[in-house]
Amino acid sequence: MSSLHLSFYSAFVLSSLGLAFHRTHLISALLCLEGMMLSMYVALAMWPIQTQTSSPTIIPILMLAFSACEAGTGLALLVASTRTHGSDHLHNFNLLQC
Amino acid sequence: MDLYLVLNTSMLLTLATLCTPIILPLLSDNLKNTPSTITSTVKTSFLISLIPMTIYLHSGMESLTSFWEWKFIMNFKIPISLKMDFYSLTFFPIALFVSWSILQFASWYMASDPHITKFFSYLLFFLIAMLILIIANNLFVLFIGWEGVGIMSFLLISWWHGRADANTAALQAVLYNRVGDVGLILCMAWLASTLNTWEIQQISSPSQTPTLPILGLILAATAKSAQFGLHPWLPAAMEGPTPVSALLHSSTMVVAGIFLLIRTHPMYANNPTALSLCLCLGALSTLFAATCALTQNDIKKIIAFSTSSQLGLMMVTIGLNLPQLAFLHISTHAFFKAMLFLCSGSIIHSLNGEQDIRKMGGLQKMLPTTTSCLTIGNLALMGTPFLAGFYSKDAIIESLNTSYLNTWALTLTLLATSFTAVYTLRMTLLVQTGFVRIPPLVPMNENNPAVLSPITRLALGSITAGFLITSFILPTKTPPMTMPLSIKLTAIIVTALGAVLALELSKMTQALILPKQNRFSNFSTTLGYFNPLTHRFTTTNLLNMGQNIASHLIDLSWYKMLGPEGLATLQQSASKFMTTLHTGLIKAYMGSFALSILIILMSTY
Repeated sequence: MSSLHLSFYSAFVLSSLGLAFHRTHLISALLCLEGMMLSMYVALAMWPIQTQTSSPTIIPILMLAFSACEAGTGLALLVASTRTHGSDHLHNFNLLQC
Repeated sequence: MDLYLVLNTSMLLTLATLCTPIILPLLSDNLKNTPSTITSTVKTSFLISLIPMTIYLHSGMESLTSFWEWKFIMNFKIPISLKMDFYSLTFFPIALFVSWSILQFASWYMASDPHITKFFSYLLFFLIAMLILIIANNLFVLFIGWEGVGIMSFLLISWWHGRADANTAALQAVLYNRVGDVGLILCMAWLASTLNTWEIQQISSPSQTPTLPILGLILAATAKSAQFGLHPWLPAAMEGPTPVSALLHSSTMVVAGIFLLIRTHPMYANNPTALSLCLCLGALSTLFAATCALTQNDIKKIIAFSTSSQLGLMMVTIGLNLPQLAFLHISTHAFFKAMLFLCSGSIIHSLNGEQDIRKMGGLQKMLPTTTSCLTIGNLALMGTPFLAGFYSKDAIIESLNTSYLNTWALTLTLLATSFTAVYTLRMTLLVQTGFVRIPPLVPMNENNPAVLSPITRLALGSITAGFLITSFILPTKTPPMTMPLSIKLTAIIVTALGAVLALELSKMTQALILPKQNRFSNFSTTLGYFNPLTHRFTTTNLLNMGQNIASHLIDLSWYKMLGPEGLATLQQSASKFMTTLHTGLIKAYMGSFALSILIILMSTY
């Protein structure tokens, strides 16, 4: 595949592996999620340039809007879990389960 | 000589003369208005307006002028058209004569007011708006005049705007008139959408007359002419200065509603529902106002309720399908009602602001001309034979007695006629005769020609106007010619009965003791309990409903329960259920997720 496709494909795979294998902090998972969103943005922006159609040009902007909402939700969850569990360490998350 | 041209020119010259005190000060800084210039302008207009009236009386010539069409919708014509027919040609001189007298009186009454020129220009604006209403041929120009008189009424009632009562009264006038405007706009909208016109000539409908626009017109007349239901603004409007009460709320503005019904008469002439509605509404208004006037102690309020009662009588005449007779009553009523107000103004100023008739007495010897004219006005109001009020009022009662209508309206109107005699005679006796109940040091002086000549001029009009108008005008409908003697004398008999009753009552109230309260006197004194009931009840309901809809319904239930917080509650219940089933091993879950993705990818290659 071309080097362009390689770049965002590998960025996406690396970020998703980072999301799957985060060890201690929840915030590293959120950062990897953002990285996935970034690579998807680049991919969506490249597609109308490659196929020379101008209508889908707005799609990356829409995706960005939804990604911002999602990041906000993630951060809210982070703050909520920090307030209840004291930190964002993952091994704390099943301690207060009743 | 081309009389048609003279008619149109002199009519337009009348209106142009009235506009000069407004336009000339804008053109040059040296031309300032003074009360005397405005008075002489109105006098000149009156003299010019006699020319078209004379032409009409001589040859019966009418005219319809239309100039400048407002083209803003393609197939809907809104011309500015003026109709000079019997009604407008006769009412112009009468309105201008009464206004001239009132302005001359106001130059004495408001002499100590620092903004007297502004007062006079307000009165002039009002007069121009009223004349536009009279001369209008389509409902658009009439609406311009209608709104104009409404606004000037607001500004003039609250002339002494430092007084809270005056501000409330002006607000009441505007709000009640607005309700009537809704009716007028409803009628205009219906006409524009159904008949595609606003011209009065084009709205005579043959057989099936629709009820909706007629109800709108009756609503407009109810509000503007203070019929029962939308009447409280008229007694409250007595907060304004006496010249305002004399001009607006007795002769000119309050007859605008009746005039609208007279103009659009062909529309509902064949609609018995509308005619019965007018009849019953008018009968109720005239009796209610006459009942309220029986126990009033403020001289201006008595005359205000008398106006309201006479307006009800005009509405009854409209209900009898006799618009010309209603117009005759409007014309004669203007003279004696304005004179009554001017006399009361002279009395009030002479007694240094005292308006309570229980503190007046024996003024016959102290203010001879004023009280003589007060007597003439009261006799004309009662319908004394061959004074001005007789020609219209007696004709109305005769037609009422010989028509096919319901007895209830007839009884109420006759009772109201009798009550008219009672309260006018009570007012006369308490004000003019008897012992003197005023404080000893009062600035009593009526020897100013600015006071005496308007009052005597209007007294002359009150005596002769009825005779002059009826002798020059042919009636459009045949009046009832034959009737039994008792029917013919009904008006006089009930008036005489009322007068005898008033004499009896006045003998009972010579001693200044507290009157005993019973149900009927309470009803009359509190104006029928109407004001507190409607003003509190409707506003409380409206505000409660507003609070319910705005905060309870929208804010609390839609935004909280059904909107975002409802969604949050739904999610919370789902996740609370799931928490007990969860083990929380996130790292294991994510590792298995990565492993399964890897296996799937490798299996496809």
